[in-house]
Order: sequence, then structure tokens, then C-alpha cells
Amino acid sequence: MYSLHGIGKSFGGIDVLTDISLTLKPGQRLGITGANGVGKSTLINVATGFLKPDSGHIQLNNKTLTHQPAWAFAQAGIQRTFQSTRFLITANLGEQLLLAARAPESKRRLAKLIELSGLQASLHLFPDEIPLPMLRKAEVIRGLAASPEVLFLDEPSAGLTAIELDQFGVFLQQNLGQKTALVVVEHRFDFMLMITDSVVEMQLNRGLVEKGTDVKT
Amino acid sequence: MDMLQTSIDGLMIGSTYALLGLSFALVFGIMRRINLAFGACLLFGASLAIYLEPILGWGAWGLFFVTIVGVALASAYVERLCFAPHSKRHGAVTAMIASFAVWMQLDEISSQLLPQRTHAFQGIEVPNLWWGEVFVRGDQLLHFVIALVSILVLYLLLYKTRLGLLIRATADSPETAHLLGARVPWLGFIIFLLAGILGGLAAFMILSADGYVTPLFGLWSTFKGLIAMIIGGVGSLTGAVIGGLILGLVETHAGAVLGAEFRDMVTFGLVFLVLIIRPGGLMGVKIYRTDSLAQERV
Amino acid sequence: MDMYLASVLTNMTLIAFLALSAYLVLVVGEVSFGQQAFFGIGAYITASATALAGAHVFWGLLAGAIGGASCALVLGLLTIRLSGIYFAISTLCFAELLRFFLLHLRFTQSVDGRIIGPDGPEGFSNIRWIFENNYQVTDFLLLAVTCLIILLIVLFSLERSPIMLGARMVGNDPILAQSQGLNPTRYRLSFITLSGAVAGFGGGLFALFNTHIEPAMFGVMLGIHGLAYAVIGGLGSAIGPLLGVFLDIGLLESIRSLAAYRMIIFGGLVALLLVFRPEGIISPRLVSHLKSRWRNRHV
Repeated sequence: MYSLHGIGKSFGGIDVLTDISLTLKPGQRLGITGANGVGKSTLINVATGFLKPDSGHIQLNNKTLTHQPAWAFAQAGIQRTFQSTRFLITANLGEQLLLAARAPESKRRLAKLIELSGLQASLHLFPDEIPLPMLRKAEVIRGLAASPEVLFLDEPSAGLTAIELDQFGVFLQQNLGQKTALVVVEHRFDFMLMITDSVVEMQLNRGLVEKGTDVKT
Repeated sequence: MDMLQTSIDGLMIGSTYALLGLSFALVFGIMRRINLAFGACLLFGASLAIYLEPILGWGAWGLFFVTIVGVALASAYVERLCFAPHSKRHGAVTAMIASFAVWMQLDEISSQLLPQRTHAFQGIEVPNLWWGEVFVRGDQLLHFVIALVSILVLYLLLYKTRLGLLIRATADSPETAHLLGARVPWLGFIIFLLAGILGGLAAFMILSADGYVTPLFGLWSTFKGLIAMIIGGVGSLTGAVIGGLILGLVETHAGAVLGAEFRDMVTFGLVFLVLIIRPGGLMGVKIYRTDSLAQERV
Repeated sequence: MDMYLASVLTNMTLIAFLALSAYLVLVVGEVSFGQQAFFGIGAYITASATALAGAHVFWGLLAGAIGGASCALVLGLLTIRLSGIYFAISTLCFAELLRFFLLHLRFTQSVDGRIIGPDGPEGFSNIRWIFENNYQVTDFLLLAVTCLIILLIVLFSLERSPIMLGARMVGNDPILAQSQGLNPTRYRLSFITLSGAVAGFGGGLFALFNTHIEPAMFGVMLGIHGLAYAVIGGLGSAIGPLLGVFLDIGLLESIRSLAAYRMIIFGGLVALLLVFRPEGIISPRLVSHLKSRWRNRHV
């Protein structure tokens, strides 16, 4: 179980996050929506250890992660994707995916995920030779290989067409597994409804507000 | 009284270091690049000046003029060959090594122009001053004034002209500046020219105050400029000026107290301490930490 | 083999150690202007061990490597929060401070009527190991090349392991590296320390070959040359720095007729080369490309 409690973060006098709290159970699918600039990226960055909160704490299965460096978060099982997919451009896809799967079960899981995603043919290519929808899948696979506790997706729909998005959604539904909790920060409501059980909205100065699944856009 | 004398000497030489530091700060602060060929450009300018002196016969002012023009030309060459082709964010190391290669090239050209190990470098004849018990060399005072004036002109250029605005905007964010109409590659060229002119001024001052030039001058001036910039805070123009003055003061005092040998050690030790304790230098320039996302949009 | 050729090749081998040490730091994303200091420390330690303490050359070289590694580790720890130009300049200062220390190191003994030991700016003369053991230039070349090959084997096996890819990730994109659970600090410290060991070992060989070393030999220019070889040759593989060394020392030596204008031509050519191949000749992309073509060769 993963929890954020009382998280606050300000930049140069501006309070971006105020008293944010969040709890995730294994297998939970949560969407976070909200206007531009309201602090969604900041929240992901804090939740995955890339920014340190000014107040509050972060816990994973009774282990406090709050002031650990980002790599410790990753090793503890908190994985994420990035708004613009992040890969080395000097190594091919296969090598980079392998790096994410160090244990034998991870390697097996990785092999299966690659097969299911149709990325087999692209493994020898460099990331700048691979179309965006495949790269986004690759990023997800990279995150899922080690069977993480939580996977954060940062605006995964950016740059994808409706059809590509649909396929991506199906791919996610099929491969997330029971254990991994999912948090998706997204604009595209329909996509978010497809892959999450509940949605919260991040509002300026009000934090995360419950939306439920029966909200009409 | 000795301390005062040493301090004045320190400020005099510090003003030339300030110009050297400014040159580096201009290039690093605005383009995030280190020009390793900087000192070699200075040496080239000076060598060209001495080489042409018998032909032109303009005396010390001729040296002044040709040095600056020579350094500016060399800087333009360096910019076009080593920096313009590597302007993307990750091109920093490549550009630096390319400038190292041109450093070797310019050093060799300079020693072709000046085959002997030492060459006389004529200075401007200015009467010396006695101010109570303090002695001030006339030419060094003139240099100090020229340095001050150049720094003022630079500030006017940067803060009162449209070109200066474009330069400062590019320092902040090259992408935005480009969108707003700044011709960023062309600006890089201008920056290098400016840095070259300042460097040429500093070179003339230092060499004419010493009275001679040796092949070691290139490496030496590169060190001084880098160190002045670091002490003041990397990339900060004001910092470079202050850093240069402080370097001059510290150096002169260390030399007076500990002797010439320990002078360099004190300098390097000071810079090392600055970097360990307060990397941002005097002006507290923010350094980018590898795990901080405040500087990067992720 | 011609004496002159053997000595050029030996020089290339020794400088290769320096270039490889610069390469190891570049791989984790930093620039070091200070590798020459570890080279110099290794030289002095090996010289002291063999000439002063009469140790076997193996222990002498090992001590040199350990000395280089220790200094590098100290530097790495002191500069743990620094990166980019701050790190680069601090390596420069550290190296000059070390060199200053060597300039004032005096510990001489009289052995068989000769003065042996570090003697300040005069340096360390009479490192007589090769004379005592009757080594010809060609013999030493064989020794040096053997050591280099062993180092290359180590580096190549490192290259094939995830450690190297992890290091490259740390060097290219620390944020990505962290998201993959890699600790950038640990990679940095490890590679910097390793680079010190490699440079120290090379310095030890250098001392034995030259029989005389002095602080002036280990200045900034030496370090920047090593750095340049790594960048020009390419960071894709340990072969890159070797290629860089070969291009400078090897090719240039062969156009001795142009000796006077050598640097003018070579400097311009290097800058030009970098315009067209900014990541060096043997770039990481090239190596990755070649690797996957090799793997898929039957497809």
C-alpha cells in the first residue's frame, strides 16, 4: 500500500501543492485530471521521488520514502513514465529494456510483454527511429518489467491519435496485473475513464477532489 | 603602507583579470560553453601585433590596435569552426575539445610568427605617479581606467541597447529568444567577438605592463580567466569583474607574504575551496543539481 | 624491430592508459582535467617502490594503481555534489595542487653512489628497473602492450555487462537513470576511482620506461591531450581512446616532414572532424548499431 500524506511543495513563494493526501491499494486504478499548471506534474515528481516535498510524508508498505533519492523510490517499486518519452538515443531499444529487467522473473515478464506488444521487431532500432505509440508502450513495458508496486503515467495520451490511444488503453488493461496500482495524470477524459476505476481532479488551492466515474465531461 | 601598496598593485592587475573573467563569463553565461582556445587567441593577437610592428611602424598604439583586431579575428574563427556547429545542448564537450584543437593550432601559428622564446612588447609611455608613499605605475593606471571604461561600455551595451536585450534574453532561454526573433547563431558570433575584444584589451594591458610575451601566455591567461569567473560565480558578469579583482588582490598579497612560489598554490587552493564550499561563487549563482527537476520540465 | 618505432609504440601504449582514464570519466557524464595528476602520482609511487624500496615491479605497478585510485576517490568524494564545469575546474585545481605537492616532495637516498628519490622540481631520476633487468625497448613494449590488452579485456567485459549501459545512462540522462533505479553517485564514484587506477598504472609504466620523471611532465596539457584523444576517438567503446592516441601520436609521427606545421594542420583537421562526427569516430550510436547488426546477422 502506497500513501502520500499532507504533501506540500512551493516554488519561490508560490504554493503549488498544499496538503495533498492519497492512498493506493494494490491493483487500484486512479486517474488525476485538472487544468494546466495546477500542479499535476509536480505531484508526480514528488510522488516518485524526483522532487522533495516541503512537508508531509510518503510511505510504501510501512516504509517511509519521503526523503529518499529518486532511485531509491524506483528500487522500492515506484515506476513512472515521462511526458516526453525518455530513452537513451545512443542505445537500441532492446538493450534499454533489458536494463530494466535485472532479475530472472523480470526477464521472463519482459519477454512476454514484448511479445504481447508487438515490439519484437523494433528491438534493434534506436528510440528516434521508433514511432511514438510504440515508444509509449515500450516505456510502460520498461516500467512493468520488474512488477512495480505503483506505476505513474504522466500524460500518456500526448501525441497519440484516437485509434492509437484506444489500442494503448487496451494494452494497459491487459498487462497491468493485479498487484500494480496505477495512477494516470491525463487530460483526455475518455481515455482515463477507460483505464481507471475512479478519477480525482486537482484543483488550485483545494487539492484532490473526488470525481467519481459517472461524471459527464 | 605596504599593504596599501600591495592592494593597489593587486587591483591594477585584478582589473585585467576582470576583463579575462568577463570574456569567459560572456561565453559561458550566455552560451554555456568554455572556449579553451581563448588564451591562444590572445597569444595570436599579440604575436601578430609584434610581427606586423616593423611593417606598420605604429609603435605601442599599433600593438594595441593589432592585438585587439588579431584576437577578434581569431575568436571569430574559433566560433565558426568550433562552436557554431555544436550549438545543441549536448554539444558542450565536443565544442570544448574542438576549441582545444584550435588552441594547439593557434599556438603553433603564434610560434611561427614569434620564433624566439621571449619577445619584447612595447607599452604606452605614461609618467608614473607618487601618491604619498604609494607608487602607481602610470601605464597600469591608464590600463585600469581603460578596463573600467570597457566594463562600463559593456554594461551600457547589455542593458541599454536592443542588441544587449537580445543577448540577455538568449542567456535566459535560447528557445524563447529564437521565437521572439533573435537570430541566435548570429548572436553567438557577436558574443565571441565581444569576448575577443575584451580579451585583446586585457592581453595588451598585461603584456605591455610586463614588457614581454612568451609562449606560455596562452595557457596562463586561460587559467586566469577561468578562475576569475569561478570565484565570482560561473556565468555572472558582475561576478567575473569582482572575481578578477579579488584574484588580483589575493594573488598579490599571497606573493608578497609567501613568495612567488606559493602564490599559484594559494590561487588554486582558493578556487578549490570555493568550489567545494560555495560552488555558486560570490554571487551565489545557482548550480544545477543532477536530481533537481526544478530546472527541467519533465 | 626498429628502436625508434618501438619507442613510439611504447609511448602510444602509455598515453593510451591516460586516454582510457579520461574516457571512463566521460562515460559517466563528466569532464576531468585532472587525470594527469593520477598518472603522475602513479609514476612517483611506482618509481619509489621499485627504486627506493626495491620492490618487485608487479607490486610497484599495483601500488601505483592503488595510489592513483585513492587520490581519485578522495577527489570524487570532495566533489560529490559538483558536476559540469564546476567538477571540471575542481579537477584542474586538484591536479595542480597535487603537482605542487610533488614539486616540494624531497626524499632522496644514496644508492650505489647515485641519488635516488623524488627531489622537488628536479624530479625523480635513476629509476633503474629496466637497466637492472636488462630490458630492451622492445621488451618493455611487450610488457606495456600486454598490460594494455589485459585492461582492454576487463573494459570489454564491463562493456558487455549492464554496468556500462547503466554508467552511460547516468552520464547521458541522470533523471532517466534514477527512474531505472540506478544510483548516479555510486556510478560516478566507482568510475572516477577506476579511472584513477588506470591512470596510476599507466603512470607507473611511464616512470619505468622514462627512468626519469619530474612534476613538469604531469601538467594540464598532458591531461587535456588524454581527454582530447577520448573525445576524438569516440566514447562508444574502449577502442575509441586508442584510436585517438593512434591518430595523434601515430599518424603525426609519420608525417615528420611537416613537423613545423604539424599542429596547424592537425589542429584544424581535428576541429573539422568533430564538425562531422561530433561524438567522435567510434561513437556510442555506431557501436550500438554495429552490435545489433552483428546479433541479427543471420536474419
